[in-house]
Amino acid sequence: MTVLGQILLSALFQGSLYAMMAVGLALVWTTIGVFNFCHGVLMTLGAYLAWQFVDPEALGLPMFVALPLALLVVAAIGFALQALLIRPFIGRGDVVLVAVITTLAASSILKNGTLLVWGPRPKSIPPLAPDTIALGASNVSAHQLAIIAITPVVLGLVWLFLNRTRVGLALRAVAQNEDACQLVGMNVTALYALAFGLAAALAALAGIFFGGFKFMSPDMGTEPLTKALVVVIFGGIANITGPILAAYIIGLFEAVSIYYVGFYWTPALLFAVLIVVLMVRPEGLFARSSRGLA
Amino acid sequence: MKLSGFKRELCGMILGLAVLAILPVFIQDTYLRHLLIMIFVYGMVAASWDLSLGYGGVFNFGHLALFGVGLYTYALLTKQLGVDPWLALAASGGAAVIAAGLMVIPILRLKGIYVVLLSFAFSQLILQVIVSQSDYTGGNQGMVMVPALKLGDHNMMRDKKLAYYYIALTLLSACLLFLRVFVRSALGKSIVALRDNEEYAVSRGVSLGRQRLLTLTGSALFTGIAGGFYGGYFRNTSTDVFGIDLTTLILSMVLLGGRATIYGPLLASLALTLLSEATADIGVWRPIIIGAVIILVLLVYPGGLAGALTAGWRRLSAMRTPRGQGAAINKVAS
Repeated sequence: MTVLGQILLSALFQGSLYAMMAVGLALVWTTIGVFNFCHGVLMTLGAYLAWQFVDPEALGLPMFVALPLALLVVAAIGFALQALLIRPFIGRGDVVLVAVITTLAASSILKNGTLLVWGPRPKSIPPLAPDTIALGASNVSAHQLAIIAITPVVLGLVWLFLNRTRVGLALRAVAQNEDACQLVGMNVTALYALAFGLAAALAALAGIFFGGFKFMSPDMGTEPLTKALVVVIFGGIANITGPILAAYIIGLFEAVSIYYVGFYWTPALLFAVLIVVLMVRPEGLFARSSRGLA
Repeated sequence: MKLSGFKRELCGMILGLAVLAILPVFIQDTYLRHLLIMIFVYGMVAASWDLSLGYGGVFNFGHLALFGVGLYTYALLTKQLGVDPWLALAASGGAAVIAAGLMVIPILRLKGIYVVLLSFAFSQLILQVIVSQSDYTGGNQGMVMVPALKLGDHNMMRDKKLAYYYIALTLLSACLLFLRVFVRSALGKSIVALRDNEEYAVSRGVSLGRQRLLTLTGSALFTGIAGGFYGGYFRNTSTDVFGIDLTTLILSMVLLGGRATIYGPLLASLALTLLSEATADIGVWRPIIIGAVIILVLLVYPGGLAGALTAGWRRLSAMRTPRGQGAAINKVAS
């Protein structure tokens, strides 16, 4: 395969993973107005629960049962976290700050809880598609291609949900004006829970993607969370299309930079570019300045 | 009135520090002294963070990066360039101040969550630069055999950490005095004014940019020195100081202690360091318990430990005569 092809493939693959993580973060920020530092550990939980359901050593369920089940359980965990960590502080002036520390604390609890339950030994879940596919001169793993193909579909569905269904529109309405929503009788509490649960499920899906090509460890969510943060800073957290675009751009940037500048300088370069972008456009590249979804 | 208030505070401060100064007479145990040293170091970092976060309302999520800058400045200067450790300690404070000055530039126009995101990005940038320069900094492995602080011919290794204890205590005292004078000065008042009502404060002639610069560099000074001391004390460096775990611990000290108090984070540093040590033997349960305690305290005492204490104190003093404007306003309001 040509250099260009390899760079593009890597960009699409990394971009898909970043987008999957970043959209959940943006979803929680827009609807609830807090930043969820549990997002990385929710991804870890998704991967470990999928392992628990699918691995022959554990429950050994078939993939098509196990994976949705893992997503559901993580969504439920996200729902519970929201009720415990964020709900009690809503309405306080310092809710953003308090939510940072409560979600950080919970992420520490869950990370070590994962270590406690599943142990430190690296695990992996079977890839979504096991084969490699010949693409030009070289082979590409089908799992990577599957991720590249599935991600836009899932994100498209999320977009449709937010733009074409009543509940999705309600979520966006809460994002725009919570007081007015309460006045017209919308169940804001339930919508918060829904946003958090949906974000958690997206994180879990990203975890399943990761677990299929890398060894899992309780710490696996930290780096993707950092990257997702970069993506939402870059794309703006005011909507979900901004982060999606930004995810692919950053994937491309990294692929190009790793090839031409080198592996070690790429993260530093990325953060430097990020800071410059924020100085010029504090609300992100693709955001209008107001807080609103899609 | 104000002066006497500060004099009283100064007396309390001197009394407290005097107690800490004679404490080693009673505490001979090396490990307990080590714990106190750690409490002092974390206390310095947390109290300094309180200046920017609590008083300034600037959520600088890269505060621990300033600590890391101090740490690596000390280590690089002493080990790679052979600079005198005390000079390097001073330089570590200076380097952190410069880093904070650079950090202010991009966050000058930003508010709220964007400050969090950008300062986080800034701290990651510093981390990545350190990791990429592994020839000098040891990369992810960190540096070992960093030269220790020296006091003449005194053997720092065999005095059961007595010398380190007093160095840490001296630094803490200087830090505490600096922060309290800072927040009580006109400058400190203008910073609080910016936090509470930015538009009004700016319209009254308070310079947002200059004040933010002074807030962040002020919070960086002793954070960097604490980092330098940390390097001279442990004699190694690790990129772990940039990690989310230490940030969580120190941030919870600020929030649990109570924001905009300076003393609160010190108190919480005592509580959390002791809790962290008391649970050291139970492995993975330790972060779980600490995390649970943080969440529980925030649920029960929104104002943190200092908030709980001052509420109790105010109730006590309200039974006597109402003092100062705040009490008077409270009285009118109620």
